[in-house]
Amino acid sequence: MRPGARSRAAGTLAAARAALAGIRSTRMYFFFQVALSGVATGAIYGLIAVGYSLTFMTTKALNFALGMWVMLGGMLTYSLIVLHAFHPLTALPIVVSALFALGIVAERFSVMPFLRAGSDVWVMSTLAVGFLMIDLAEIVWGRSPTPVPPLLGKNPIYIGPAAVLPQQLLIVGAACVTFIALDLFYRRTLLGKAFRAVAHSGETSGLMGINTRRVQAVSYAAATALAGFAGFLVVPLTLAEPQLGTVLGLKAFAIAIIAGLAAPRGILVCGLAYGALEALISGYFYTGIRDILGFSLMIAALFLKPEGLFGKPLEERA
Amino acid sequence: MTERSVPWLVGPTLAALIILPIFVQGTYYRFLGIVIFIYGIVAVGLNILAGYAGQFSLGHAALMAVGAYTTALLTKALAPLPFFAATGLHIWFGLVAGTLVAAAFGALLAVPALRVRGPYLAMVTIAFGWVIFKVLQEWVSVTGGDLGLSSIPKAQLGRYLFDTGSFYYVVLGFFVATLMLQHRLVNSDFGLRIIAIKHSEIAVSAVGINVYRLKVLVFVISAAFAGFGGTLFAHQQNYVSPDNFQFFSSVFFLLAVLFGGAGTLMGPVVGAAVLTILPEILQEFDKFRLIIYGCFILLTLYFLPNGVMGLLAVRSIRAPGPEKGPTLVDATSPNKPAKIVGVGLQLNNIFKSFGGLQALRDVNLRVEPSTIHALIGPNGAGKTTLINVATGFYPLDSGEMVINGHTTTLRSMHDAARQGIVRTFQTIKLFGNMTVLEHVLVGCARHSRSGYFDAIMGRKSARDEAARNLANARELISFVGLARYENVPANSLAYGHRRLLEIARALAVRPQLLLLDEPAAGLVAEEIHTLGRIIRQLKASGITVVLVEHHMELVISISDRVTVLDYGVVIADGPPAAIQRDERVIAAYLGTPHAAA
Amino acid sequence: MTGNGHMRVAAAVMAASFWTWAPAQAQEPIKLGFAGALSGPASFVGVEIKRGAEIAIDEINAKGGIGGRKLVLVSRDDEHNPVKTVAQYRELVEREKAVAIVGATNSASMLAVAPIVNDTLNVPVICPATDATAITENDAQKQGRDNYLFRVGMYGTGQANFMVDTMVKKFGHTKVGLLTWTGGWGVTGRGELQRRLRENGLAPVADETFDNNDTDMTPQIIKLKNAGAQSILNYALVRENTFVVQTKEKLRDNTPYVSAWGIAGPAFWKAAGAAGEGVLTSTTVTIDGPQPPERMTFVNEYRRRHNQDMDAAVFAIGAYDAVYLFKAAIERDGVEPQKIRAALENIPEFKGLVKHFTRPVFTRDRHNAVTEEDMVMTRWTNGKMLEVKFDAKGPHVEIDAQTKKYLDRSNMTLL
Repeated sequence: MRPGARSRAAGTLAAARAALAGIRSTRMYFFFQVALSGVATGAIYGLIAVGYSLTFMTTKALNFALGMWVMLGGMLTYSLIVLHAFHPLTALPIVVSALFALGIVAERFSVMPFLRAGSDVWVMSTLAVGFLMIDLAEIVWGRSPTPVPPLLGKNPIYIGPAAVLPQQLLIVGAACVTFIALDLFYRRTLLGKAFRAVAHSGETSGLMGINTRRVQAVSYAAATALAGFAGFLVVPLTLAEPQLGTVLGLKAFAIAIIAGLAAPRGILVCGLAYGALEALISGYFYTGIRDILGFSLMIAALFLKPEGLFGKPLEERA
Repeated sequence: MTERSVPWLVGPTLAALIILPIFVQGTYYRFLGIVIFIYGIVAVGLNILAGYAGQFSLGHAALMAVGAYTTALLTKALAPLPFFAATGLHIWFGLVAGTLVAAAFGALLAVPALRVRGPYLAMVTIAFGWVIFKVLQEWVSVTGGDLGLSSIPKAQLGRYLFDTGSFYYVVLGFFVATLMLQHRLVNSDFGLRIIAIKHSEIAVSAVGINVYRLKVLVFVISAAFAGFGGTLFAHQQNYVSPDNFQFFSSVFFLLAVLFGGAGTLMGPVVGAAVLTILPEILQEFDKFRLIIYGCFILLTLYFLPNGVMGLLAVRSIRAPGPEKGPTLVDATSPNKPAKIVGVGLQLNNIFKSFGGLQALRDVNLRVEPSTIHALIGPNGAGKTTLINVATGFYPLDSGEMVINGHTTTLRSMHDAARQGIVRTFQTIKLFGNMTVLEHVLVGCARHSRSGYFDAIMGRKSARDEAARNLANARELISFVGLARYENVPANSLAYGHRRLLEIARALAVRPQLLLLDEPAAGLVAEEIHTLGRIIRQLKASGITVVLVEHHMELVISISDRVTVLDYGVVIADGPPAAIQRDERVIAAYLGTPHAAA
Repeated sequence: MTGNGHMRVAAAVMAASFWTWAPAQAQEPIKLGFAGALSGPASFVGVEIKRGAEIAIDEINAKGGIGGRKLVLVSRDDEHNPVKTVAQYRELVEREKAVAIVGATNSASMLAVAPIVNDTLNVPVICPATDATAITENDAQKQGRDNYLFRVGMYGTGQANFMVDTMVKKFGHTKVGLLTWTGGWGVTGRGELQRRLRENGLAPVADETFDNNDTDMTPQIIKLKNAGAQSILNYALVRENTFVVQTKEKLRDNTPYVSAWGIAGPAFWKAAGAAGEGVLTSTTVTIDGPQPPERMTFVNEYRRRHNQDMDAAVFAIGAYDAVYLFKAAIERDGVEPQKIRAALENIPEFKGLVKHFTRPVFTRDRHNAVTEEDMVMTRWTNGKMLEVKFDAKGPHVEIDAQTKKYLDRSNMTLL
């Protein structure tokens, strides 16, 4: 870096710190603290939401039970770290690959057979898998919520006057990294381009020599693996329990719709914004209307811009 | 596929349901029966939507909730008033109000959700279900929050209060009425059209039916059934809370419909009955409840994709009938379409692009009334795009369309059809296993005056019109030469006959301008001759025909004028003989010779 | 097959389903019924009730049953769903011929079922878990008719009174904040807390809520802090409370936190860990600290059977006492449900695990066994719920028979 640039960067950082420290007034603190905790939750939504997009783009079907996969990732993490004393860094690849493998199996038996054109029965089949997962989780792990130790300790980190848990920062960071990685994958790698080709037209891609079936299976499994990753990250913040994923999955779904199922880039932004908005509504108004507003927003978004805020308009061919 | 026969066995089954309870002690079985009937009513509503129209909703429990809470609030408010205490009218008001409010919510939901394709309806209904659930939980002052509303008045008539035993018969009555209504709906034009929508929305739109409006109507009807079920539920339980109307219940209803047999009359009943009784039998396995449901869903989807009733109802395939009259059409055939005033079409400076691809560039086309105008060009030239633009499927980027001297903007294909512009499709779009006759009857929709309500009530005007449509349809089927296949399912027709069926269906709309998109594709020589004769017959009766084709012989032999497109631009336009010799046309098809090295 | 075929099959299916059961014959054993959540998130309550009842029943049967007849528990999973509860109660009474029922896990279920129990089924029900006041103060009670609903657990009005009175009168706090769950029980709780504060001449300085999906209570905690709350009163269950105390820990907030009996069991400490230290809980009974011998017997028996400690002792113990109360009533006047009901109102003395009643357990006007005088306030101390007692020096807990630790009133830490 040129000397001038370095000192300018340092100056900007110092100015930012000073500005944050200046947030002493209760009102600003409240806003900042609340919004910050919301952003962390939003990062999780975004991470899960991108899984919907991954699956939808290549199969035009959705994994309606994605939230349950997050739960499975979380429960597996709990088992490995708490019950079997694995180190988190060893547990992570195990969780991700296990969910990838299971995703391949699940796709083969509960999605592929039902991808007939014009039929929406995969809605029911993916839901069925979700039900199975909840019940199996209850049987294997019991029903009581149990804690999982956070990866970087419990001491809050202060950004200005606002406290965030290290785990929350980790989640935001992981989400950003994941999105950048996904973006690079789509644009720079051959497999990523194959994904985009299949998303555009499965038939044509097949004719071009792309194994459409394999791409579909892999994208489904990638989504479930990603869900596992999300579960691994989120379970120290929430508790490990079989019901963990139901609502998370639903909210992530709303975000995917609002951002655009075929527009993965916008999903992170929408996720963070949604999380912050949720927290601010709780903070300034009343918790109860939070979900009502959020889901009404989703319905409105579907009406006004069905392709999503960041998506391209849907065109049809006759 | 329609089910016509009203089974004679209904009587004995009904008798059994009426008489059985007399021999059984206690309220438990009656109670269970009522629950099954109520779930059956909701399932019937969902069956019309998901089974016949093919639109999945996962929010019907919420619509049921709307009906239930509406009647609960209304009847609780009115019950203390002496007038209502004496007459019991508040209950009946409640039933009606609950149904109407649920229907209104259905409209509210369907209007945005059905604007787009794909599983978006399922998504919106899930979100809707969640919103309703939350509102019921949060709006404590009105809904009682999580603890719900209790002491909902029992059903009452005059001063008589219905107890479980007598309410059983009331609900049974409503249940039977629901089934009859379903039967009427499905076997009417309404039923034909919504089944057609399940197979091809685009084709239905092309024959002049406003698909969107019809889908909304179906959804509203479905919501009304759900709301009605909810009102009965409220007065039976005398207590409602949000717990009763969770997402899982919506899944339950859809599963009942799928398991019982989507798109069958008795399917929802069987599904509701089995799925209600199942948990009662499996009491000891409460730990495995979700696993059982999950497996149930998967097994149904694998092994019973058409449900129990679907499996049992093997549609009797009727073989083609005996030869009826001339199978080949000729000029002396009495079966000709009535005289129609054809319209002229003019397309001026049409531009249309898709993203970076310019599909049509400054296209000018002038089609004289009552002529046969052919549109040819290499693959990818933009011919189908031009048809799509001319029939309102795509909006044009710029340029104008003039029909019979009037500048027109077409907003959709059904808009075009209403103005007398009908088309057929390059990739044939038929309605699955509906019969040939049923296909053409769908086409008659455009000119049908009587509404759905009249048809269901069996009014004379509706019945007369139905008879007229039937005669009309038969004439058209005869005209294209498919008379002996009248009752054959379309998907068992030979390829060439399917093309003819599309034409017959299009003719039912009484087009003044008919656009045929590669009608000869895939036909053998003899069939192409027949096609040529049919098209000339159409011209003779006044219809303007625009023909997109690759078969040069056919084009040259029947066209009055030919326009040639290449890469979205008109490169030639003139009488067939001139086009045949045009160098640019030859170059477009065959390429230019290499310059000598 | 034609359309006729459809009807044939449909008829057969429906008829078969109905005819596959014949109404059950009356059995020799005395049947006690139970319908509650045995699956799903609330199942830990239902499972505890069932287990507590089973221990009582087996003890009684081992001693020869009641009048030579054995007791049997017929249980059903209502999935925490009032519709199912109602159906199952009918089934338990009409098909299974249960003469008495141990209450459900969901207040909404009991509210739904109460009118039917009083009007049609006429079978006594003792509730160990549900605390909505209107369950026992129901229409029948108000109209002077026979009331079949009884309760051995906490009841809403009393619990709220106890919580507020303890903090206001015994701890001397005047600025009290509320933090309740929007779920059913939280709603009634909130109303009751507001009522009692009003009766004490106070209003809550802040009135916050959260729903089941909240995992971060930052906005609510900050608002309570800004309002200057000296203590926060809460109605919620283990899960949500875990998130509350975690948020408080993150924000370094020490405001005394008092919860209703939703977290009165080891499940809370298991989930929240050290973040739960210092939280106060009102309950009817705690099995930590010095214990009477009968309770220890019960605790050990539970451990022997199920290889674990109780998740929510208060419900298991309540169910145990409910069964013994039924036994006392039956021994007095026989197995007819209406007689059992009447007899329950006439038990002058009862040695229960919840407490040793030296006054009538129930009376015609009072169907709640445990009143405010019987309730205890406990403090979560190092994984145990220790009773908070008051003496001349102030509030304290007994770590063991010899050690007393006093509490700092402003943040409930041990001095």
